[in-house]
Amino acid sequence: MVAVFGTLGYRPKSLIPTIRSTQDVDKVVFYCGADRNDPEAVKNVADAKKGVLDYCRTMKIAADAVELEDPFDFKRIAVKIRGDIKKHKREGKEVAVFNIAGGTRPTSSAALLACILEGVPTVYVHDLTYEEIHLPLLRMEYSQVLSSEERQILRTLLKNKSKELTEVELAKLMGKHKATINHHLRNLIAKGAVRLERHPGDSRKKIVRLEESTELLLGDED
Amino acid sequence: MKVLISTFGRDDFEKVVQAMRRLPYERLVLVGGSEAAESMALARIKELEELSGHEVTDEIVPESGFMEIVDAMSEILEKHSREARGRRNEIILNISGGDKLLGDAALFAAFRLGVETYHCDERLTKLPVLKGLTAKDRFTPSQVRFIKGVDGPSVPFDRLVESISPGNRQPVERVMRELKKAGLIETEVMSGKIVITLSESGAEVARAIRTT
Repeated sequence: MVAVFGTLGYRPKSLIPTIRSTQDVDKVVFYCGADRNDPEAVKNVADAKKGVLDYCRTMKIAADAVELEDPFDFKRIAVKIRGDIKKHKREGKEVAVFNIAGGTRPTSSAALLACILEGVPTVYVHDLTYEEIHLPLLRMEYSQVLSSEERQILRTLLKNKSKELTEVELAKLMGKHKATINHHLRNLIAKGAVRLERHPGDSRKKIVRLEESTELLLGDED
Repeated sequence: MKVLISTFGRDDFEKVVQAMRRLPYERLVLVGGSEAAESMALARIKELEELSGHEVTDEIVPESGFMEIVDAMSEILEKHSREARGRRNEIILNISGGDKLLGDAALFAAFRLGVETYHCDERLTKLPVLKGLTAKDRFTPSQVRFIKGVDGPSVPFDRLVESISPGNRQPVERVMRELKKAGLIETEVMSGKIVITLSESGAEVARAIRTT
């Protein structure tokens, strides 16, 4: 199955060129949403959504309009889109291309981030000419840029994120020497992947915290 | 020195002020199109910064052409990370200002150069760009040498062997296979000789390597 993903704002014309230019599209998944306090925006997005759904119906392509609860919540959108791409891949479906031209600014940037992390081909559609611009994306795989020990530490922290682990506790949990963990933690701190926080009960101890952004990097199944 | 670089549009006073309040910095750089550079919002931010005895640096980038903006943004990030006597500044990038194209191009450049990046509006979201890890770090030194070697529209494989590993084709052939599998190069046989060209993604890697 070939799927086209996209973000949609007020203009179906920013998404439909990608459906046209992709061969044998079986499904279109698009993300849309408007500020609920802005009736004009709500109407414009609803009209655009109807336009894309009508087009897909006529072309006999299955379409799934995903309503974003808050189209300005960058992190939630990125997590949602990345999760959907992963789910699609797990089911053996191909995400042929992701069009990031429409929608709010945070929606578009969050979609770009998900595409970089998942290695999905990405396109823009020019505002005036409606021509597609293919972005030369490179997948950002954390396995390429972190050592296996660093990855193991991040996974352990993610698995135990409800716990407040100190460096010593983390070393014990991983069955490693404290000095080894300390060395890798210093590298991870320099890369901005983890941080140390003062222990609330004992100021001599430090809690190792995964940065919020690292959870986005690791994704839900790593 | 901590340098906050923020994308900026002509109506983005509030967004930039949010970033200024929530992210630590010693120098502020705003990046936008030519309209933003002449906006009232920029004048107000300059006034605010003057109160702290500092100036705002404004940088203008092209308003269209995604990769042109990515390249311009990469140059700006690189330029402001350099300090006198070979020292490096700490760059913090905010991508919430300006139009979609600018924000997305800035995010693209951040991954290229490994710059700490945020999306700051009512919420502050730290983005998963690993600090200091550039596009170059995703490749082995021999792969980087190979990509750098393809310095024209197409390059004969024999010439690459001569420049990378004279008289020893085998390791260069292995790198060629790896890069071809990754979709970064294309090969074709012309007059009995293998000729290498960079794919679109390969060209992006080459640009990224040149920037870093």
